[in-house]
Amino acid sequence: MLVSWELLKDFIDLDVSPEEAAERLTFSGSEVEGITYTAGKMKGIVAARIDSLEIHPTERKYYIAQLDTGTGRHICITSATNMKAGDMVFYAGEGSTLPDGTVMGTRDFHGVESYGMMLSAEELGLHDVDDPSGLLILPKDAQPGDDAKNLYHIGDVILDVSITPNRGDLLSLIGMARELKGLYPKSLLKSPEWLRPLKQDKAWSEDFGTISLPDKGCYCYRLGLATGAKIGQSPLTAKIDLAHLGMRPITNAVDVTNYVMLMLGQPLHAFDLNTLPAREITVRAAHDGETMMTLDGKDRVLTERDMLITSGGEAVALAGVMGGEQTGINDDTSTIVIESACFSPVRVGHTSRRLGINSEAAFRFSRTVDPNLSSSALMAATTLMRDWCGATVDYKPLSAENEIYTPKPVKLTRRKLCTILSWDNMTEATEILEGFGIKHVEGEGDERTFLPPTCRPDIAIEEDLIEEVGRFRGYNDTPDKLPGELPRRADIGASMRLAGFIRQAMMARGYTEIVTYSFLPEDFPEKLRIPGDDIRSKTLTIANPISRDQMAMRTTLLPGLLSGLKAALASGRREPVRAFEQGKVFLKDDEHEHLEPEHVGALLYNGKDTRSASNDRAEGFYDLKADVCALIQARGYSPEFREGRQPFTHAGQTADILVEGKNIGWIARLKPAIEQELDAEGVYAFEIDISGLYDVKRNEFVPASQFPASYRDISLLVPADRSNDDVMKDIRASVAGSLALESLRLFDVYEGKGIPEGFRSLAYTLSYRSHERTLKDEEVEAVHNSVRESLKEKGYVIR
Amino acid sequence: MESLNAITALQELDELRVKYTGKKGELTLLLRSLGKLPKELRKDAGQELNTLRDEIESKLEQTGRKIRDDENERQEKAQRIDVTLPAKGRTAGAFHPVMQTMHDIANIMQGLGYSVASGPEKEEEFYNFECLNMPSWHPARDMQDTFYFPDGTLLRTHTSPVQIRAMLQYGAPLRIVCPGKVYRRDNDPTHSPMFNQMEGLLVDKDVPFSVMKGTMTEMMNAFFGRSLKSRFRASYFPFTEPSMELDIECVECSGHDEHCRVCHGTGWLEVAGMGMVHPNVIRAGKIDPDKYNGFAFGIGLDRMAMLKYGISDLRLLFDGSVSYLLSGLGGEN
Ligand SMILES: [Zn+2]
Repeated sequence: MLVSWELLKDFIDLDVSPEEAAERLTFSGSEVEGITYTAGKMKGIVAARIDSLEIHPTERKYYIAQLDTGTGRHICITSATNMKAGDMVFYAGEGSTLPDGTVMGTRDFHGVESYGMMLSAEELGLHDVDDPSGLLILPKDAQPGDDAKNLYHIGDVILDVSITPNRGDLLSLIGMARELKGLYPKSLLKSPEWLRPLKQDKAWSEDFGTISLPDKGCYCYRLGLATGAKIGQSPLTAKIDLAHLGMRPITNAVDVTNYVMLMLGQPLHAFDLNTLPAREITVRAAHDGETMMTLDGKDRVLTERDMLITSGGEAVALAGVMGGEQTGINDDTSTIVIESACFSPVRVGHTSRRLGINSEAAFRFSRTVDPNLSSSALMAATTLMRDWCGATVDYKPLSAENEIYTPKPVKLTRRKLCTILSWDNMTEATEILEGFGIKHVEGEGDERTFLPPTCRPDIAIEEDLIEEVGRFRGYNDTPDKLPGELPRRADIGASMRLAGFIRQAMMARGYTEIVTYSFLPEDFPEKLRIPGDDIRSKTLTIANPISRDQMAMRTTLLPGLLSGLKAALASGRREPVRAFEQGKVFLKDDEHEHLEPEHVGALLYNGKDTRSASNDRAEGFYDLKADVCALIQARGYSPEFREGRQPFTHAGQTADILVEGKNIGWIARLKPAIEQELDAEGVYAFEIDISGLYDVKRNEFVPASQFPASYRDISLLVPADRSNDDVMKDIRASVAGSLALESLRLFDVYEGKGIPEGFRSLAYTLSYRSHERTLKDEEVEAVHNSVRESLKEKGYVIR
Repeated sequence: MESLNAITALQELDELRVKYTGKKGELTLLLRSLGKLPKELRKDAGQELNTLRDEIESKLEQTGRKIRDDENERQEKAQRIDVTLPAKGRTAGAFHPVMQTMHDIANIMQGLGYSVASGPEKEEEFYNFECLNMPSWHPARDMQDTFYFPDGTLLRTHTSPVQIRAMLQYGAPLRIVCPGKVYRRDNDPTHSPMFNQMEGLLVDKDVPFSVMKGTMTEMMNAFFGRSLKSRFRASYFPFTEPSMELDIECVECSGHDEHCRVCHGTGWLEVAGMGMVHPNVIRAGKIDPDKYNGFAFGIGLDRMAMLKYGISDLRLLFDGSVSYLLSGLGGEN
């Protein structure tokens, strides 16, 4: 909210600078995000009287003015046409500076020298205040020679204050003055002239029926009358004030309502009595499905939670949120009715949030407007209708009320004050609270009762009182302490522990950690060729996405990894890309139960330029497999790999990864078609669900044998479609008798010359070892021979 | 002796050994002839000769070793490699700054007695807002523009719902942190629709603000690795009362640069929001607010990471390819 320092002076005598007040506000909860000096670099601009005006001798579009600045006479030329002799204007003489920093000089206008210039409102840095093509004509009270900075609040200081949602009472100048009074207890609150009570006892000169409030969400509703109003411009100072506070001046009658709202915080609405459908007002709940066209020309579909202001059965406003256009003030209006009402923050909050209308009124009502404000604000508005529009306003307002919120007393105890703030001076605390207008009503000792003012519904519990004390005193002098006794051993947790292990392992193995968005383009399953019956195609979709590219929650980490690869390639990278990501995917299981399993995925790509002094060969499936094995084996498990299929992977180079017989993911080369789309050949990836790896498997301890092992090799001719895994199983199954096969290791795979078509040669080394004794050659030979025989029986050809 | 110094080959050395200390060497012969000397001279001459023999033998030994060493060295030098050739295999990967930050802070907090808790990213309105004093009409909702799913659930807008879940699960007393992804419907250079937070919650008996203050100060100092000035400003969050925000001294300029791109000349950086947990929230966690109170805080992990590692655009962190990735992999391979 914008706060004018000049206007603040109407409400409080404060003996500090705006900068100092800004700092105090910031530390006490209302952060001042900026300070604007509205005069900018303005220097030496003064009021001047136009003594005479004549048309330029040769260029008839220019006027030559003789100006009186009180201390001298100046010749000044303008192309403006809206002035006449005798008018007061602002004059920027030679050597003066405009707000934007322009230094004035003299200028030759076709043979006539102009010393500086006469200014429009825009040139003074005042936007929307006056016609930008004409000079700003000053009111008659200006004296030649007066410095512009000191007139009409031109040289104001505006604080941009961020008001937290609990402090609706600070959305006005008077509210800010009250807050500053609390923060600076020695300051004095005061009232501007237009806020003094006004005698209003005459009956309305116009017929008006009743105001009825069947909806309790309208706490009170009041109407004031102003007759004989002349619609025109507001006083210059008021226009400048409005502009400084971020509101465009419109006409005097409308400006009055905005001005009073900014000063007091009460949203008001002025309308032409003669455009009201009937001389009656009803505030009622909307019917479900009822529609209304709001001021912005949009048709709004309403619910029972919305409130309507109706007249003669016709909706004229969405209560507390937005008016209808047909009842507005126009240039011919002379009889004005001003509405001052108070609505439930819950109801207005609902309506404005649901419809996305954040009008000044809705913003304030949803943050709570003091229900006791409506009368005084209405009186102030009618007073200003009299002052600015020349209206007659001594009519008694019409009013209707429902039950109005009354503040409840709140207790403050020394114990809680001391617990939270480590400070317990109840006398000082009481003074602080009183300073904020929170009345001490009962108790003198360690337990005291306070009554918050009606403008502070945010004060409801003891902690709220403690916060007032805390923010007044500031929090920085409190000593730093650390918590005492531990309730239980602190545990980083299985999930985070595993995540920490995986990232360290993957980084050590050469992969870079990435984090990508959890939401993906809606069609990502399609792009990955994932069929409709695959769980990964049933995506959870955001109902209100920012864009279609961030709409479907990921069911796999692969798109994120690929986007990383794409971006790397797009940036011209030619070296290898190795990346991994850990995070949740979002799945619906068969029962449509939502699941968020944690996955880890990695991608391996050799790069466009595979020449390397570091690597003798390009990496591929088996290199990535080593990485998967490292992760899983470090958790105590032996992963199994089975030939598998994934919709987006190479039909011949894909495996399922199994741990303890359970499928936890896949490893593969991507489908060549997808590689082509990426313009990258040889892209390998894996993705596993890590939820089975949280705990490290407890394996039995096996001591090293003191007896040497015996090694024997065996070379088998195997049909090409028979997997190494199957062959190894067969070898293991062939070891019979008392001797244990300690290890079995494949050391050579060969196909080609000397091997029949459709076969390959697999060579293994077997190690036999006993934990009890040194094996004799004969017994090893006997066992190994039986293995050979058994394998022959199984149909293997031994080479 | 001089002839020893001139020797460079083992063979010459052997010749010398034979000549002096061999079986028929000059020295050996002299020793043998000692017996011919008069008795009174024999002892001194014997000692002298033995000393001389020891000296010669040790000298021969030393020289022999040196000759062998020199020869070995010559051979090794012939096998010289270029040690500046690149390492074989892969270069190490790089960490993601936000993930590193997340793990670092979780570890720091574990040191202060906090366990890690977690909650779902697809969250219910109830936990994300209602339990936290933010009913649907509440204007504080304006600060958290939310992604919804068709079934009315949402992507959590903060890690605060884990406060409720942890209280319900563990009861009091309690110390937890919850790091994780959160989502809001914002997208501009300073906001990303997905970012990372860490929630902290301590519930115990008679918890003072000073403990929260000490905890935050300790955490910041530990994370940035030095003692930083900090300041607490009053603020507002619906789920804490009183509420504060924490500013730390600018890690870039310490307030000495009025054109600082990090703090914009203010000298301060806003890094966390916090407060004493609102009694309603304690109650929503099924804990008696008359017996227990506590504090909660929320830190923007992305912001912490950006400050620590000097990253200027939040959105670069999540496109999967950012410069850290390139520089991290930047070596030969
Ligand atoms: Zn700085």
